[in-house]
Amino acid sequence: MYCVETSKLLHQFLGEEMVLNDISLQVNEGSIYGFLGPNGAGKTTTLKLILGLLKKQQGEIFIFGKQVENNRIEILRNIGSLIESPSLYGHLTASENLSILQKIYRCPKQRIEEVLHLAGLSSTGNKKASQFSLGMKQRLSIAIALLHSPSLLILDEPTNGLDPNGMIEIRELLTRLNQQQGTTIIISSHLLGEIEKLITHVGVINKGKILFQGTLNDLKNKQQESLFTVIETSHIEKAMRIIAAHHLVAEIKDGKIILPALPKKTIAVISRQLVENGIELYEIGVVKNDLETIFMNLINN
Amino acid sequence: MFSSFVHCFQSEWLKRKGTLASWIVIVGGFFTPAIIVIVRVIKHDGLALMYASNDFWKLLWRSSWESMAIFLLPLGAILSTSLITQIEYKNNTWKQLHTLPLNFTTIFITKLAIILIMVLQFFVFFNMGIYLSAIIPYLLISGVPYPASPIPYNFFLKENALFFIDCLPTVALQYLLSLKYKNFLVSVGTGFVLWVGALASLSWKFGYIVPYTYGMYNYLKDSASAKVTPPAINIHVIAFAYFVVFTIISYILYISKKDKG
Repeated sequence: MYCVETSKLLHQFLGEEMVLNDISLQVNEGSIYGFLGPNGAGKTTTLKLILGLLKKQQGEIFIFGKQVENNRIEILRNIGSLIESPSLYGHLTASENLSILQKIYRCPKQRIEEVLHLAGLSSTGNKKASQFSLGMKQRLSIAIALLHSPSLLILDEPTNGLDPNGMIEIRELLTRLNQQQGTTIIISSHLLGEIEKLITHVGVINKGKILFQGTLNDLKNKQQESLFTVIETSHIEKAMRIIAAHHLVAEIKDGKIILPALPKKTIAVISRQLVENGIELYEIGVVKNDLETIFMNLINN
Repeated sequence: MFSSFVHCFQSEWLKRKGTLASWIVIVGGFFTPAIIVIVRVIKHDGLALMYASNDFWKLLWRSSWESMAIFLLPLGAILSTSLITQIEYKNNTWKQLHTLPLNFTTIFITKLAIILIMVLQFFVFFNMGIYLSAIIPYLLISGVPYPASPIPYNFFLKENALFFIDCLPTVALQYLLSLKYKNFLVSVGTGFVLWVGALASLSWKFGYIVPYTYGMYNYLKDSASAKVTPPAINIHVIAFAYFVVFTIISYILYISKKDKG
């Protein structure tokens, strides 16, 4: 059973193009699912549909194995969320903001102090939320999402506005929650690098379509597929002729010859031939695409 | 459902803490009585005679309601309702509220209940103010006796209830507008225009169809004036009917909203 499962979700805003097209997500229980895509890809719309903030037009949504429409309140009792910018009552303090939700969730009052401590906001006292920095607001929003110890956290770009230290703290906090309490986390971002160290699973979305979905290891396997050989010489055209004789597809990029990943023997033969033909060899080697490049390639293709 | 309403009510009540709306209720409730006290303390020559009158409380009641029925109550209801409802738009918190384990109906009813309780609170403060405006001159100025006539509780209660019913259409329509439109100026602007329209239509024989006129008519019912035509029908029933209709429309619009975040 998946913690969250959507099937063939379609969504279109009035008079606009299709925002989501056939979105089928599968989020495993206990996983940290990175939902990646550039701005406007459809991440927030998908998450809003999952949370019932947008009226579903087509498709199915199951959370904890239950259909959302018929079990909305029961499901929401176990979800903590942060969608886009922080949702805070600016005229109230951090503690009062949490009290508002504590009354609804009926969780112990001591949880307020606990989550304030977790979010590093214990010392904010009587300061109103409107006077907080963006980073503090973001941390308070995360504290709100954690207040009732939910089993599913849905966080839409939670690190927006956080400084590098804040990002690391949030990352550590989420990892701890996932490992110690088994909380399933869906975290969206437009930067893979930002959440790469945190996630176990990835879904990549662009222009309303899912381009990749699987474990982080699956994505890393794509990395193996995207190895390439780079050669830098003193005579690029002469070198290209020698390479062409091996029936290899090569291209020139930034003054370097780019080839698909080659067997070691072929590399040795080519390098010897280049030297024998009086071409100076500055660089020859196999290069791996980093995950960010794979992500960008997925999006751009 | 009821326990969920109680918890939602506690949560919503906390949200109004320190807001302009909560100040309007307190300041609005004591404003007219405070003016009366100041005027009576300054011009205290005829007070002894006035306090000895058998109609003392009813006269005080009428002078207190003069500005309240025409001006402060409708404008206070327009502003307070709009401000309370707009808290969620202003703080970008609708999406958070709608992801809480609460029925949308509970949210709708609770918010309306908070506003109605605040209107009641306003009435309580105003009545306390009326009592204080009678007592303070007696305590401050020598020679002014304690009011000779007893407080007409039944009259006060009945009139309070009628004024409360009469302001319900204002509350319900402002609630509808504030839930529907993100822009605060739409609800407040419409409310202000309707209030001016209500003032202008008082002399019209069909003025009672304007939903903001009822408090004014209730105050003016005993005043003989060529400028005002008190309706021959029961305005309180119409006021209540408007309240029900506006609330139902408001509920349908709220529930059927496609984007709740």
